[in-house]
Amino acid sequence: MEKVKVMVVDDSKVSRAMLERTLARTNFEVVAMARDAAEAVKMYSEYSPAVVTMDMNLPDADGIECSKRIHAIDPEAKIVMISAMKDASLVAKGREVGISAFLQKPVSPNELLDTLMILCQNKAGKVAVLRESYAKPFMRALQQGLFSLIGVHSEVELELDERRFLEVSGVAVIIGLTGYPSGRAIVYMEAETMRKFAMVMLEEEGAESIGDDEASESVEEAANIIVGRGVSNINDVFKDKEMRITPPGTICGVDIRIASPKLTTFRVVAKTRIGDIKMNIGFAEGE
Amino acid sequence: MDAKLVNPFVDAFITVMPQIGFPEPKRAKLYVRDQNAVGLGVSVVVGFTKQIRGNVVYNMEEETAKYIASTMMMGMPVAEFDAMAQSAISEMSNMLTANAATNLTGMGFEVDISTPSLSIGKNFQVKISDSQYLTVEMDLGGHIVELDIAVDQNN
Repeated sequence: MEKVKVMVVDDSKVSRAMLERTLARTNFEVVAMARDAAEAVKMYSEYSPAVVTMDMNLPDADGIECSKRIHAIDPEAKIVMISAMKDASLVAKGREVGISAFLQKPVSPNELLDTLMILCQNKAGKVAVLRESYAKPFMRALQQGLFSLIGVHSEVELELDERRFLEVSGVAVIIGLTGYPSGRAIVYMEAETMRKFAMVMLEEEGAESIGDDEASESVEEAANIIVGRGVSNINDVFKDKEMRITPPGTICGVDIRIASPKLTTFRVVAKTRIGDIKMNIGFAEGE
Repeated sequence: MDAKLVNPFVDAFITVMPQIGFPEPKRAKLYVRDQNAVGLGVSVVVGFTKQIRGNVVYNMEEETAKYIASTMMMGMPVAEFDAMAQSAISEMSNMLTANAATNLTGMGFEVDISTPSLSIGKNFQVKISDSQYLTVEMDLGGHIVELDIAVDQNN
């Protein structure tokens, strides 16, 4: 995947290093780091980054003045102000010189990424935006949900899923996502994992005492909570978007294939001591 | 569930299907179910939220799905229920559901629908409701499409 170029303007070595480290694991790449306004202007022309992060306090000028100078060279420049102070007057002054977003230190990696993603939507590509801003909140929800619901630690992985089918032998809980982006989340696992899951969730001693219906209902309830939490994670960041979930539809059986034509899907696998708990999140392409 | 919520789905079927090549869709049987639906071969689940919440399943045998896909694609032979055919069935489900949603809006309900999930397989259990729901069989020239409708007004 093509990296999106970022320039960091900050006089603190620590802040620069922190930003660089946060972005190192993403599809953003820090191509230039400037310590003051003069260096920032020079480097902007040299590297033409897709986006700039701007500190407020610089030795030779403030972040507002520096942004003004960058905008003089490139009126389309995308600048995110990252400052210790964030008040209405700073935001107003910043808007005047074309700063697109304002973040307050310390910036959480998620907040930073979401902001950069939104600013660079076209450049970063749709899949990257879906992955970082929409699929990841579900991955976090799965991991946290498994821990809070059944006290199980998990290692989670997220990747683009290019298979044409999900193959399910066991249980699959399908939950629709409406709003933007619309799509669906499917939480699925094998029958044996389902029974163990229910056993832990219902605090039963042995898997024998749990019927299949009871087991699938436990998974359904957990999936509903996990997917709901994922949607809340997204709505917390994108306050203007109201994603919602539909009631679950649960499928049980063997050798079931679930196809999702025209969706961009991501696969999340949580490896746990009771087996793999999988989730597939699909978003409808385009708006 | 409230039986009046079935009509928007039946009406959608009768309105939309002729537009995609099925001249005379008819309502066949209607019955109340309190157990899981059983996957007939191809089952498409669509979720509803806002003032109407629940799920609807478009459930049919694979042969029927292939017949529908072939008709939708102007009679192109469909030997396998492949990606193209799946896409056609998914599209049909979208059209039916969007039309039903419009009918529900006309009744004064605000609704939002999810993208369809298409499952392929035989004899799997589909649980879409904790309580009773309605099943309507729609007849497309001898091919049956079962609509499992479990939606309720959100209070």
